[in-house]
Amino acid sequence: MTANLQIVIKRREFTVLGLIVVLMVIFSLSTEKFMSVSNLSNLLLQLSGVAISAIGMTMVIITGGIDVSVGSILGMASVVAGKLLMAGSSFVVVVLSAIITGFGIGILNGIIISYGNVPPIIVTLGMMSMMRALMYQVLGGRWVSGIPPDIRIIGLGKWLGIPLSMWITAVLIILFSYFLSSRPTGRAIYAIGNNPEAARVSGVNLARTILIVYSLTGLLVGFAGLIYVARTGIVQTNTGSGFELEVIAAVMLGGTSVFGGKGTVIGSLLGAVLVGIIKNGMVLMNVPALSEGLVIGILILISVMIDLVRSRGESL
Amino acid sequence: MKNIGSQIVENRVLFLLVLFLILFGVFAFSVKGFFTFYNLTNMTQYGVELGLLALAEMLVILSGGAGIDLSVGSMLTIVAMIIGVLIGRAGFNPSLAILIGLIAGSAMGYANGFLVAYPKIPPFIVTLASLYVYKSLAMIISVDPRFGPNPMPVSNFPESFYFIGQHRIGGLPFQVLFIFIPVVLILMFLMNRTVLGRHLYGVGSNETAAIFSGINVKKIRVIVYTLSGLLSALAGWVITSRIASARPDIGTGYELQAITIAVLGGVSIKGGEGTAGGVVLSIAIITMLYNGMQLAGIHQIWQLGSLGLVLVGSVLLNQILYNRRKF
Amino acid sequence: MDTILECRGIEKSFGGVHALKKVNFSLNPGEVHALVGENGAGKSTLIKIISGALSQDRGEIFYLEKAVNIGSPRKAQEIGISTVYQEPLIYRELSVLENIFLGREIKTRRGNIDWNEEEKKARSLFESLQISPHFIKQPMRDLSVGLQQLALIAKALVYEAKVIIFDEPTAILTEHETERLFEIIKKLKERKVGIIYISHRLEEIFRIADRVTIMRDGEVVGEHLVGGINRSKIVELMAGRLLVEEINHLGKKGEKPILTVKNLTRKGRYYDISFDIYPGEILGFSGLVGSGRTDIAQTLFGLIKPDSGEIVYQGKKISFSSSEEAMANGIAYLPEDRKAQGLFPILSTAFNISVTVLKEISSRMGIVHNSQEKELGKKYVKELAIKTPSLDSKIYSLSGGNQQKVVLAKWLGVNPQILMLDEPTRGVDVASKSEIHHMIASLAEKGIAVIIISSELPEILKLADRVIVMHEGRITGAFEDQDITSENLIRAATGERMLKTKSSPIEEKNYDC
Repeated sequence: MTANLQIVIKRREFTVLGLIVVLMVIFSLSTEKFMSVSNLSNLLLQLSGVAISAIGMTMVIITGGIDVSVGSILGMASVVAGKLLMAGSSFVVVVLSAIITGFGIGILNGIIISYGNVPPIIVTLGMMSMMRALMYQVLGGRWVSGIPPDIRIIGLGKWLGIPLSMWITAVLIILFSYFLSSRPTGRAIYAIGNNPEAARVSGVNLARTILIVYSLTGLLVGFAGLIYVARTGIVQTNTGSGFELEVIAAVMLGGTSVFGGKGTVIGSLLGAVLVGIIKNGMVLMNVPALSEGLVIGILILISVMIDLVRSRGESL
Repeated sequence: MKNIGSQIVENRVLFLLVLFLILFGVFAFSVKGFFTFYNLTNMTQYGVELGLLALAEMLVILSGGAGIDLSVGSMLTIVAMIIGVLIGRAGFNPSLAILIGLIAGSAMGYANGFLVAYPKIPPFIVTLASLYVYKSLAMIISVDPRFGPNPMPVSNFPESFYFIGQHRIGGLPFQVLFIFIPVVLILMFLMNRTVLGRHLYGVGSNETAAIFSGINVKKIRVIVYTLSGLLSALAGWVITSRIASARPDIGTGYELQAITIAVLGGVSIKGGEGTAGGVVLSIAIITMLYNGMQLAGIHQIWQLGSLGLVLVGSVLLNQILYNRRKF
Repeated sequence: MDTILECRGIEKSFGGVHALKKVNFSLNPGEVHALVGENGAGKSTLIKIISGALSQDRGEIFYLEKAVNIGSPRKAQEIGISTVYQEPLIYRELSVLENIFLGREIKTRRGNIDWNEEEKKARSLFESLQISPHFIKQPMRDLSVGLQQLALIAKALVYEAKVIIFDEPTAILTEHETERLFEIIKKLKERKVGIIYISHRLEEIFRIADRVTIMRDGEVVGEHLVGGINRSKIVELMAGRLLVEEINHLGKKGEKPILTVKNLTRKGRYYDISFDIYPGEILGFSGLVGSGRTDIAQTLFGLIKPDSGEIVYQGKKISFSSSEEAMANGIAYLPEDRKAQGLFPILSTAFNISVTVLKEISSRMGIVHNSQEKELGKKYVKELAIKTPSLDSKIYSLSGGNQQKVVLAKWLGVNPQILMLDEPTRGVDVASKSEIHHMIASLAEKGIAVIIISSELPEILKLADRVIVMHEGRITGAFEDQDITSENLIRAATGERMLKTKSSPIEEKNYDC
């Protein structure tokens, strides 16, 4: 029993959880605004978009890839949802279109990466701009605001006192944890990240698996876009800009190695919480919002270095 | 028996030349205001900043090991702000401020290079993280405490500062004559005629063989990333002088464009392949494309959008050509 | 008893070089069929064809009595031919259990992985092989190499392999692990699995194999029941009667050694290595793959740091920390794998030749003199008879022999004091081989100390003034003059301690058999 406990404690997720607790203590001691119900629930609300997208990004990075287009996917999906809402479309149509938009962009990414053999950084970088241009075109350069209240329920409605978006996040996390740990395709994702050659020889369909990974990511981010619109009621031309940084940071801090082959969805959830708390704490302590990039960028580098040290240490 | 068509596609420089001429012709005939001396020379002005960044990417991608520099836009911005703040708010001598800016850019490039070469962190992560770090720092620097907590551009420069960005000789812009062309010539010389250049191609085309041939791979990588920082800094200086303002949001989106231009210009993502000449032609083509689109009234956002398409398209093209080669 | 596998008339060439010439090979269920031969004899090519990594040019393969076209490693695995490679193909971060089942998972009715069933099956597999399965949930990277290998064997069984190929399996194992492996192999035999066992350790073959096939120069030169042959006969077949073209080189040795190595040790690679080399002599390093010769050469070249020991070069103790340093001091190394380590494929011939000597042909400011580079290129193209359309042709378009000449030219330009050549004529056509040999001889005549590492006996016999033989990281033999015979070299290479030099008494220690 104790051997198992030791294995649990050594795990990266535990470290992240510990960090979260430590930070919460620090912040609540520094300012009483932190521990208030309104602050914490606000924090959790904002978190869900990142957390859901981080699920997809986790899978992407496990396979050794990267997706910097998630910000634009979020934006694009928000635009589609926003516009349809303003046009009076039904709830179901709106939800589906946001998801399908994201899914479509994800598929495009996946096809070019797996069948065109183009490096993920290049494809997703290009897709990022293409989608942002498209977004601008659809918006006509203007914002969408004053979105009808019924959709807001997803963003702000509650069930049993907890916001709906969080329930959805929880369900997705459980679903994908299950997928990654118990389904052959899920395990194939890890195999590809560990040793693509061995995976190929074992019969794993690399191209198909990679396509699935990027498509699902698009789908998840599309959903996050919907939640964003529901929560804020606004879509701007730069919606989603910089979002990819938060998602990547969440995933890396949560223990997914940039070298591929390992990582968990739960870890990324914790990473998202960590990033969210840091941002929140910074705001409350009056650290200028401008420093956000600085802090998160440095955090990413630190977590990569930690990964390096760990993997070097182990392979001896 | 290769027909002219495939021969053109295989020789990248030739291909670009043809593309350039075709585009030039199309724009000259169909877009009003394109084919004037003023417009053409104006165009070259814009091309300098982007061009310097593209040359930076060329060096970095050439060095192989999945080399890429996503932070060039942010380094441009932060150096622009450093120069702006030093001159406009702290009253430094412009030449001194520019020198400090160039040194700062090189130092940032060096930091990137160090992390790539020694702990061997994948370049896309190092430069992605530094993109955000430098962007954020640029914003922080731009805050003028006298005017509140928001980032603010700096515009009060002495007249002498504008010479590089706005003045012309015989109608030809200063920055083209005295910065861009010399840089291109120096880089061409460096890449073709020096030991450093040979080593760079060696490292990029086969890192293992380079080690076995006595080349210091780490040193080469650190050098190219440092150069990337220096070139970005130069671009930051030039752009600030041209638009007469140091703005904290100026460099957004430049990295995509720089990488696209380099790849279109024949630089292979795998490393070890690419020439300055091809990149220069590519700069000309893209600059012309932007200019033409602008004159034709197409919104700026489409420049970036179409560029994304060009990027993916050119890498795909490179892949196909690479696979045709038998080894 | 039907044969599981039968290969008839297998032929394979690589760019003009015959790697396999009408090879026949068969395997019965429950049999261990060993495959021996020096490097370049064709063993690995044959195995690559059987395991699907290569396709034969001619010849047929029959699996379970039916003609098959294997085509890919995946297909081979699916039909039941599994290979346990020397470098295990594993998923480091995933558990042992997963490594075993990935790609062939046991699923529940709902389609997710049935971990319980998998665990049960894995446990029973290991227990039937009499291994305690306590590690199956640990990540693969935590296991010793020996255990990783066992996991891969279990994986082969999960894939219901009828043929398991072992490629030098004991090279990375401890003695204890080797014993365990042999027990497992016995169990596999009981299950009627056919085993192809490649090894250069003759003692092992006599312990566990039923049949042995000896290959040489791409042909099968003998196939015997293990009971009907002895060790020296195998050795003789491996070496063959060799017609050695004589090279007369005036091997005028210098008086003092230019390099002395004393008790050099690097854990896991080589132990207690001591030797001298004199200017103008050709010192051959013989031995089988993994014997440590390349590691020693790379150590002298500054790429590997020894744990202990001393290197004295030109009278001074040295310790190079990079290839740059070694080169600057006149030590050159021509690597084993020219494609990966020796050449810049997409760059020109001129570049490949001059890359090591850029300092010589450039000014102090680092500016390369193109004209001098051209001169250099032309000089070597002529001297080494390199066939290339022009100096600007990209290297990938040249033939293997010519590529090798370019790599050689690269190092000649450095004017080294010591030139180490690692398998200098591997994959090179006969004509070029001869030309390269003449070059090597004339280099020695110029006073360069040449170390030639080679698995090709004729090459060593032809060129070397002295030969050092290594086995598993240790020197097992040192020979001069008339003692340089193929039999001596092979015996030492397979582990017999035969330190026989003019000045010391003969020591012969046989391991067993």
